[in-house]
Amino acid sequence: MSPASSSPAEVVLRCEGLGKVYRSGFFRIPYVGLEDLSLDVRRGEIFGFIGPNGAGKTTTIKCLMGLQAATSGKAELLGKDHRDPESKRGVGFLPERPYFYEHLTAREFLHFYGSLFGLPKAVRAARIDELLARVQLERFADVPLRAYSKGMLQRAGVAQALINDPELLVLDEPMSGLDPMGRLLIRDLIFEERRRGRTVFFSSHILADVELICDRVAILVGGRLRGLGTVRELVGDRVKHVDIATRITNTDAALPGEVIRRDGDAVILRVGPDDADGAIDTLRAAGGSILSVTPAREHLESVLLDEVQRAAPINQKHLGVLA
Amino acid sequence: MQLWAIAANTYRENIRDRVLYSIVFFAVLVLCASLVMEEITIGDQDKVVRSVALGAIRAFGSVMSIFLGIGLVYKEIEKKTVYTIVSKPIARWVFIVGKYLGLMGVIVTMIALMAGLYILLMLTQQGPPAASVYASWWMLTVELGLLTAWAILFSSYSAPITAASFSIAVFVIGHLADDIWRFGLQAESEQVRQFAGVLYWFLPNLSVFNVHDLAVHHLPIPVEQLIGATGYGLGYTVVVLTLAVWVFSGRDFK
Repeated sequence: MSPASSSPAEVVLRCEGLGKVYRSGFFRIPYVGLEDLSLDVRRGEIFGFIGPNGAGKTTTIKCLMGLQAATSGKAELLGKDHRDPESKRGVGFLPERPYFYEHLTAREFLHFYGSLFGLPKAVRAARIDELLARVQLERFADVPLRAYSKGMLQRAGVAQALINDPELLVLDEPMSGLDPMGRLLIRDLIFEERRRGRTVFFSSHILADVELICDRVAILVGGRLRGLGTVRELVGDRVKHVDIATRITNTDAALPGEVIRRDGDAVILRVGPDDADGAIDTLRAAGGSILSVTPAREHLESVLLDEVQRAAPINQKHLGVLA
Repeated sequence: MQLWAIAANTYRENIRDRVLYSIVFFAVLVLCASLVMEEITIGDQDKVVRSVALGAIRAFGSVMSIFLGIGLVYKEIEKKTVYTIVSKPIARWVFIVGKYLGLMGVIVTMIALMAGLYILLMLTQQGPPAASVYASWWMLTVELGLLTAWAILFSSYSAPITAASFSIAVFVIGHLADDIWRFGLQAESEQVRQFAGVLYWFLPNLSVFNVHDLAVHHLPIPVEQLIGATGYGLGYTVVVLTLAVWVFSGRDFK
């Protein structure tokens, strides 16, 4: 798939034919982790990166962040070759399931990461107070990280990713393992960063979040890019089915479609997208009144499942990997 | 600043590690116990006390160097803390050298602590230590600097048990370097002679740092020996650290 067309000035993250082949075992058997990935992420957008386990999302992020060496292609962060450590100066990164120095308190921990960016002490101190407040950890600022819960560690991780006030924020599964309040906090942070003109690139398994907050989404399956665009472009205007809420007193009337709930004379029927008009006419003819008509659109999940099956038809029971 | 930040974090991490304190506790115990030697020794009791106490500093310093060094890089990779470091605008050599300097800071602090206790014990028992004792601590520091570099090299690509085995092997062979050379010269087999030669030239000769006997007997250590051993130690350390940086730079973090 060709990268989205955009002028170079707008692009903050660019991959061109990025690939990663792992070799394992005594005979160095090759395994393709990522193949020919080309995509552009533009300044100011929230870009979601989705796919089943083993799709290559974390591999891509690790290659971009210098944790693994790509075996083919090239990538740029903020206009610089991603292999140049200086390309990370304007980038904030939160790895998947982050682990931090447990002997440090959150304040010490943030001072440490701030100093890796060469921030002066006074700047660090002011920024740390602000970040601890943003991730709601001010009360625990001087508690060692070993005493933190998983959700608190994730929030501390987000704070370290923001310590350099990055132009580009790269988050690998930032919602993973968080309770609803934690997810809301991360979502708000992502929105806030965009309001400030920052760019957010994140991978996630939680497709509802991706659908809700992303401007554009890339779908990765089996190490290959299978889709790229806005949620609307990927999902389309396809209507999966239509739910019709009706009140009908004539219990003998034949109801069109599938009854999904009945509460006295109130009935919710589900019909196919092309059958809605006919069903409404039938209900009216039987003396029913129409309370609401709700078209249910396709979600990213079904698009992703379609792509997974297109890539390699699999047994339904194996779809557990999409959890 | 980045180098300093990594070194300071490594220093703080190790200083807050309970394992270090158990090593220091035993070192202090042995140093204090060396005074008992005076009661149970026949002959030159002062020298026996000095020998045991200086030997204890040497032994515990080496234990610290190997056992803290072998986990230094591996632990970062295993715990994935390295992810958030190498993804920052820092070169990988900064990480390795920073970790090394931080650990050396810990080792120097611990040697200073044990040396302070030694001086205190000597002042109360035998009088102030001779200059050669201080020189022996300098030589020990250079030796441990080299040993730590080896431990970090092994830690950059292998698990702690393997790294510990290799580091201990370097320590033992390093101290037997002169014997291995002499053994090689006397061997009848050409292969054995060559093997001994390879070991001698490839592995460090740690016996050049060993001035234990001179320090115990309060005999002067020739300045040329001090300068030569220091130059050898620092040069060798730079080579080993360069190798560690090279190994670490080529690593993928899975």
